[in-house]
Amino acid sequence: MSIGHGAGGSLTQELIDLIKGSFDGSPLADDEDCAILPGGFAVTIDGYTVSPLSFEGGDIGKLSICGSVNDLSVRGAKPLYLALGVIAEEGFPVRELLRYMESAASVCRSLGIELVTGDSKVVPGGQADGLFLSTCCLGRMERETPLGADNLRPGDAVIVTCPPGLHGATIAAHRYGLKVRGLSSDCAALWPMLKNILPVDGLRCMRDCTRGGLATVLCEWSEKARLGIEIDESLIPWDEAALSVCDILGFEPLHMAGEGCAAVAVEGEEAQRTLALLKEHDLGEKASIIGRVTREHPGLVGIRTYSGGTRLVDRPVGELLPRIC
Amino acid sequence: MQALRPGDSRERIELLSKALHKLADRPIKVMEVCGTHTVSIFRQGLRALLPENCSLVSGPGCPVCVTSQGEIDAALSLAERENTIIATYGDMLRVPGTGTTLAEERSRGADVRVVTSADQALSLALNDRTRSVVFLAVGFETTAPATASVVLDAWREGLHNFMVLGLHKSVPPALGTLASDTDMDLDAFLLPGHVSVITGLAAYRFLPERWEIACAVAGFEAEGIMTALVEVARQIRIKRPRVASLYSRAVRPEGNGAARDVMDRVFTLGDAPWRGLGVIPSSGYFLKKEFARFDAVERLGVTVKEVPPPAGCRCGDVLKGLIDPPSCDLFGRSCTPVHPVGPCMVSTEGSCAAYYRFQKRGCPAWKD
Amino acid sequence: MCLAIPHKVIALKGANRALSLAGPVEVEIRTDLVPQIEVGDMVLVHAGFAIEKLLEEETEELEKLWEEIRELAGP
Repeated sequence: MSIGHGAGGSLTQELIDLIKGSFDGSPLADDEDCAILPGGFAVTIDGYTVSPLSFEGGDIGKLSICGSVNDLSVRGAKPLYLALGVIAEEGFPVRELLRYMESAASVCRSLGIELVTGDSKVVPGGQADGLFLSTCCLGRMERETPLGADNLRPGDAVIVTCPPGLHGATIAAHRYGLKVRGLSSDCAALWPMLKNILPVDGLRCMRDCTRGGLATVLCEWSEKARLGIEIDESLIPWDEAALSVCDILGFEPLHMAGEGCAAVAVEGEEAQRTLALLKEHDLGEKASIIGRVTREHPGLVGIRTYSGGTRLVDRPVGELLPRIC
Repeated sequence: MQALRPGDSRERIELLSKALHKLADRPIKVMEVCGTHTVSIFRQGLRALLPENCSLVSGPGCPVCVTSQGEIDAALSLAERENTIIATYGDMLRVPGTGTTLAEERSRGADVRVVTSADQALSLALNDRTRSVVFLAVGFETTAPATASVVLDAWREGLHNFMVLGLHKSVPPALGTLASDTDMDLDAFLLPGHVSVITGLAAYRFLPERWEIACAVAGFEAEGIMTALVEVARQIRIKRPRVASLYSRAVRPEGNGAARDVMDRVFTLGDAPWRGLGVIPSSGYFLKKEFARFDAVERLGVTVKEVPPPAGCRCGDVLKGLIDPPSCDLFGRSCTPVHPVGPCMVSTEGSCAAYYRFQKRGCPAWKD
Repeated sequence: MCLAIPHKVIALKGANRALSLAGPVEVEIRTDLVPQIEVGDMVLVHAGFAIEKLLEEETEELEKLWEEIRELAGP
């Protein structure tokens, strides 16, 4: 197993496929962000291993709630209950742990989520990089017709709700010793914003752009729906600071993780209305229509560049590595 | 400079494309020899804007890609050493040696650290004198001066735990090898922007003078690259090949003397193996004898053997511009970015990786 | 082969280092290769080392080329 297998790109997909291969397939495991269960419930689980534990815009506690909440929200499920797993290294300061728990609790309070059960373990030093958290979130479907990539049709509009890659850029800046003014993670719970667009009839699907970035989401949609997607570089609401970090380290901004950034696909005619609804919420201030779904080049995502040329959008392979070449 | 910014307006680039269409009245073959150009051209989707007559070939522009199999294996052999930190640029981490990669060695417990500067590699040695640090010094003239600077630092500090595996190569001799190859039949070179910052322009004069090859030093933004293509197309049309610089914001005709001085102080040129091009005389930068104690080859007995590339791998032919990546039988089949066979597919600047990532199965066209 | 981007020098640190800004990113760089470096200079930075000062404008050569480009591109 290599670090690359955890990075959210092609290697991760390979790993997931291997793991699923051990289990008998369930029709409920449809490769979306959360699973929809009989009776209208939805459930998701996520592990949080971020380093550093605290960063501009949040910490591991806040992240652990937002991540799972967002997995539910993007399928139209209202988050209700939370189960939390804590794995801490021997010697980890309790006061620090409680700070992160307070961050997590604060997000739960703001959304009316109840922590109903949990587990904690302490492992020998060096085995958990300080602290690992795992959250399982249960919610209730608030949209009758299910959302998913299968709904996509040619002519659908693709919207991104905020600048892509802010979280990834913030973490990369820490890791490689860059001090960046005005850069902070977009870590946020998306339910309060996304719930406002659930009533839109022509809403097709939504995904939060985490590991692997916006590129991975679009590539997965395109492959699942067997349709093409075309986006325009000049329409994406880039963040200057995140782009500068990518320039310096040689990263592709479309591969950088967000933690409060959603991609939304909606029927072409309802695009403007959906955009307006998103923009009514603070989190959607920079929401933009960036492209559309097309019949052309099924399974491939194309981008029209600033220079008017075109190229494919690809997924990251594994670990994002800074380069000098 | 690799980033795409609204400074390059679509209108200006459209003008450049039109001009290029008019100038390329016969088939011309332009080779770019800088991995950063390879990537910029692909990322900015510029190939879609070129006329049919203008064939743009990728050459040996990626220093990781031209590092020979034997040199890569030598770097990987360091992973077996006790108490050793291998400091490397990220570019090298996934390059396949014979049987393993640095990333795999790291997951097996080797202490491999990704650095973004030679200075960071030196710091590792300064901060822990009980461990040996070996810095994998890959790159062309743009990167070699930094290595030379930290070797001098280590020498001044009297460090005993810092070493360099010197794999730096020099670009102009490789261009000579390509120019003299009649199979190649090159009309022009897009010269590397940042290598030229160090070397200056004189190093390339032999190309138009001896081989009648049109040359233009290009920057990395879309407009800069397209302008350089127009310039070489123009030189070919009027039959006046020369070395033009379209990147004079950064490239001085005389290059960077201070950088070349520090390289001369620390390195000596010698014959070096290039993947695909064979051994090229005076094309490798090696540490001078007086710095032998910072040389991993001298101190640690690391040897660079002649190792054949993996079976079926045609990175060598791709690097010469003889074939385009999709023409290799392994491309997209047993050789992909996820499971690369050769360095051209794994290096972020490798031609095969660029083709695969940005252009496999044809470039989607935008329809308004 | 050489990722290098423009940085603005905001402070000198000792004989061979400086603090620079690339957009909003603050980085410490080595200045050994550009000995005449000064605060306020725009420099090209590659792998943590400044490799050259950037000039303000492109030259006459480029402007002349553009005249020809416009003519060629034509109406």
